[in-house]
Amino acid sequence: MGASLPSKEANLFKLIVKSYETKQYKKGLKAADAILKKFPDHGETLSMKGLTLNCMDRKSEAYELVRQGLKNDLKSHVCWHVYGLLYRSDREYREAIKCYRNALRIDPDNIEILRDLSLLQAQMRDLSGFVETRQQLLTLKPNHRMNWIGFSVAHHLNSNASKAVEILEAYEGTLEEDHPPENERCEHGEMLLYKISLLEECGFLERALEELHKKESKIVDKLVYKEQEVSLLVKLGHLEEGEALYQALLSMNPDNYRYYEGLQKCVGLYLEDGQYSPDQIDRLDSLYKTLVQQYKWSSAVKRIPLDFLQGDKFREAADNYIRPLLTKGVPSLFSDLSSLYNHPGKADILEQLILELERSIRMSGQYPGRMDKEPPSTLMWTLFLLAQHYDRRGQYEVALSKIDEAIEHTPTVIDLYSVKSRILKHAGDLVAAAAFADEARCMDLADRYVNSECVKRMLQADQVALAEKTAVLFTKDGDQHNNLHDMQCMWYELASGESYFRQGDLGRALKKFLAVEKHYADITEDQFDFHSYCLRKMTLCTYVEMLKFQDQLHSHAYFHKAAAGAIRGYIKLHDSPPKSTAEEDDNMSKLLPSQKKKMRQKQRKAEARAKKEAEEKNEESSASGVSKSGKRHIKPVDPDPNGEKLLQVEDPLSEATKYLKLLQKNSPDSLETHLLSFELYTRKQKILLALQAVKQLLRLDAEHPDSHRCLIKFFHKVGSMNASVTDSEKLIWSVLEAERPTISQLHEKSLFEANNSFLEKHKDSLMHRAAFAEILHILDSNRKSEAVKFIEESTNNIVPRNGALGPIREWNLKDCIAVHKLLGTVLADQDAALRWKVRCAEYFPYSTYFEGCHSSASPNSAFNQLRKNSENESPNHSVGGQNVGSITSNGKLEAFKDLTI
Amino acid sequence: MEGADEGIERVVDSKDLQQQSKAFDKLTDRVEDRQLDSSRVQEAMASIAASAEADWQAMRMREKELAAVKINAADVDIIANELELDKKVAERTLREHKGDAVAAIRHLLR
Repeated sequence: MGASLPSKEANLFKLIVKSYETKQYKKGLKAADAILKKFPDHGETLSMKGLTLNCMDRKSEAYELVRQGLKNDLKSHVCWHVYGLLYRSDREYREAIKCYRNALRIDPDNIEILRDLSLLQAQMRDLSGFVETRQQLLTLKPNHRMNWIGFSVAHHLNSNASKAVEILEAYEGTLEEDHPPENERCEHGEMLLYKISLLEECGFLERALEELHKKESKIVDKLVYKEQEVSLLVKLGHLEEGEALYQALLSMNPDNYRYYEGLQKCVGLYLEDGQYSPDQIDRLDSLYKTLVQQYKWSSAVKRIPLDFLQGDKFREAADNYIRPLLTKGVPSLFSDLSSLYNHPGKADILEQLILELERSIRMSGQYPGRMDKEPPSTLMWTLFLLAQHYDRRGQYEVALSKIDEAIEHTPTVIDLYSVKSRILKHAGDLVAAAAFADEARCMDLADRYVNSECVKRMLQADQVALAEKTAVLFTKDGDQHNNLHDMQCMWYELASGESYFRQGDLGRALKKFLAVEKHYADITEDQFDFHSYCLRKMTLCTYVEMLKFQDQLHSHAYFHKAAAGAIRGYIKLHDSPPKSTAEEDDNMSKLLPSQKKKMRQKQRKAEARAKKEAEEKNEESSASGVSKSGKRHIKPVDPDPNGEKLLQVEDPLSEATKYLKLLQKNSPDSLETHLLSFELYTRKQKILLALQAVKQLLRLDAEHPDSHRCLIKFFHKVGSMNASVTDSEKLIWSVLEAERPTISQLHEKSLFEANNSFLEKHKDSLMHRAAFAEILHILDSNRKSEAVKFIEESTNNIVPRNGALGPIREWNLKDCIAVHKLLGTVLADQDAALRWKVRCAEYFPYSTYFEGCHSSASPNSAFNQLRKNSENESPNHSVGGQNVGSITSNGKLEAFKDLTI
Repeated sequence: MEGADEGIERVVDSKDLQQQSKAFDKLTDRVEDRQLDSSRVQEAMASIAASAEADWQAMRMREKELAAVKINAADVDIIANELELDKKVAERTLREHKGDAVAAIRHLLR
């Protein structure tokens, strides 16, 4: 240590430390100031004061004091330790580790520093370092329970589960026979379950089962006990015992699908792919008929047979399943059945079945073959189910007629409007979808679910301001939609980011996507406090599970969407940079002096307005900070609320690369990851990395149109490169020459031949034809008209199927929109694009994109009809221009304004 | 010192939020470690064997082997730049492939 303090001040120093540990920061500050009065240069006191200030949100002061303290006392492990803690609080873990190591160099056996170091090593997944540090801690303080547990977990994480078991057994050897005392039963029980899961993981199944039985009385969590036991029994091949135990578990919870799966495995009737032989189906059917008698109230036992039954048996079981739910009026019935639509033939059976129910109820008010009268609502729920059915099958016209009939039947059921909204969305009319979602919302203003669904539809229709206004109805007062960011409301940020992107507002789009990325960074940091907490609580199985989840965190779909959106935004920013100040000045200089003056005045006025708005915003933020108790709750003001600074980034491609690397690591099985990789690295002129992207695309789906596009584009570009000059280029060429023979699509073929070969295999698919045409144009721009003609000659065939209630054609809306964009941009043929649009308007009459005759873009659409009805019901509204394009945020509530009771 | 990043006491309006704050704060509370019976502990410590020695020796042999491989410094730079890798990673991969730059790159492109 440096200069030591007299005993009075030394006691005050201890008080600072204790106050810090118990979060009594003001008291600690007071003690520090008392010491510094007499010893103003005392390094350790300066450091501790800084650390205390850091916990009081005075960060810049904190760093200043800590650095000063360290400078004054470089040989103090306390100063280094404190510096490390400061870095840690800013998530600068590598710097923090350096500081801790410096501290340990001075005081190698300091328990506190070793413990803090181990936390950082766990956070950074430096697992071998973690094992080493935990071993030191155990050696120094073997009397502490947590050190045994920590050492064991460290070995488990470092892939040495058997060592972890040894350590836990040694730890158990230190305990009394009557352990645990009553207040530690849960902790000890959790530790035992963890140990047994380690034994299972090591493959010591017999030993694990034996240990489980031996320790039964000490394990508090009986459910996990049973589940662990049955897992071990099945793995050991004790199927009869396993079967009995699964039955016991089912009696506890007959709606757990995993128990049914386990039971099927025990009786030898489970296949991962669900492809059962007729004999197996019969035996399964018998099994579930028995089970349904035991668990009458369970939905699962009635629903699972629909997955494996076929043909007439399926129809019968589905009929029995559906009828009571229609009578009861279960709105989620279609969601429950929707996975069956992926099974061949079942959708047709369901269609016939439900149509028959509909017909019978219409005619007689009864189900076929039944004498009981159905309540009037059954017809409505049947229509509701049919609407969703036809929506799923892409027959939007029929779906809409069914849902309209249901609405006419009972206009006050909210779910009907929600489903109508969804049908219109699938049909391509996003504006009308938003309007009907708003209708649903207005029928129950207290339900946040319908509010959120409405907000989502508004964002999909690019009505961002209205969506924000609607979302604010459920956020905290005064917080506006910033509350959604604080509460990590990612779906909202993703949907609004995508909307801004579609509208070309890159700044705001990037702002939203990066906000989502920040949430994931925060979630990563959230695990930090649990490295010590879970060891204390002994919830070790859950802790290890959390660590594994954290390792896969960025695989989540929302992160993927945000990162992909950000990358696209940066690429677009790179391809079309915003006008620089120099260009604007250049334009300015061409103006006449008087015009210059006007322009400058206008500019100054705009700046003044922006400044005033910013000040007002700050005032609002300040005002909202003062709560009931009068204390000011200062929130940091967002320095870049509209993402304008994000647009000023020096190198958009290197920003995009940061997110791409995360996608490559966490979503390697997504085609989109490697498409973005290809686009990015071709722009960065990184030939080898672009090649890697192409190889990944071929690995995942060599026949995908986008894989084909990237493959041919890559080799076309490489083929047009100049001869190698530098060492770098020579090496790249060597790699390319070594790699090309491994690509089967190009075996002894020119690029033209490869393109033709690709088409031969996929000549009936619209998207493959479009890819072929695009590549043809790229390889030879003189053949553009040929490419365009080829696309226009594509045929939208009718899909053959059994229950024909109106045709279904092959093409879907999304693909047709993509082709339209291709014709308008890459192939740059506006006439062809227009012809395509007219043609697709016939196929997709509800699509606003193609301005179909039933879309919001047309006067005859459902949406405009709705608006007309609203106008008729409100005589006070002025008719005509005033309402064109306007959407009230309160929907039909306007119509009830004059209502009197 | 197991501190926490707690700032000035947060002002909360409702009882629920107060309870939430309290629960979160408790997460990082200072708690004394449980103590164990020391005579039994000594026996347990003796049973922990040091098997790390053999692993360490194996790793040292591997590192020695790699260090003997001759590589071209320019190749390291090219690989690091073209594949956007850390130079240490590029160098190690090159050593693992006996200095063959093409083979190393093809490995990294997997």
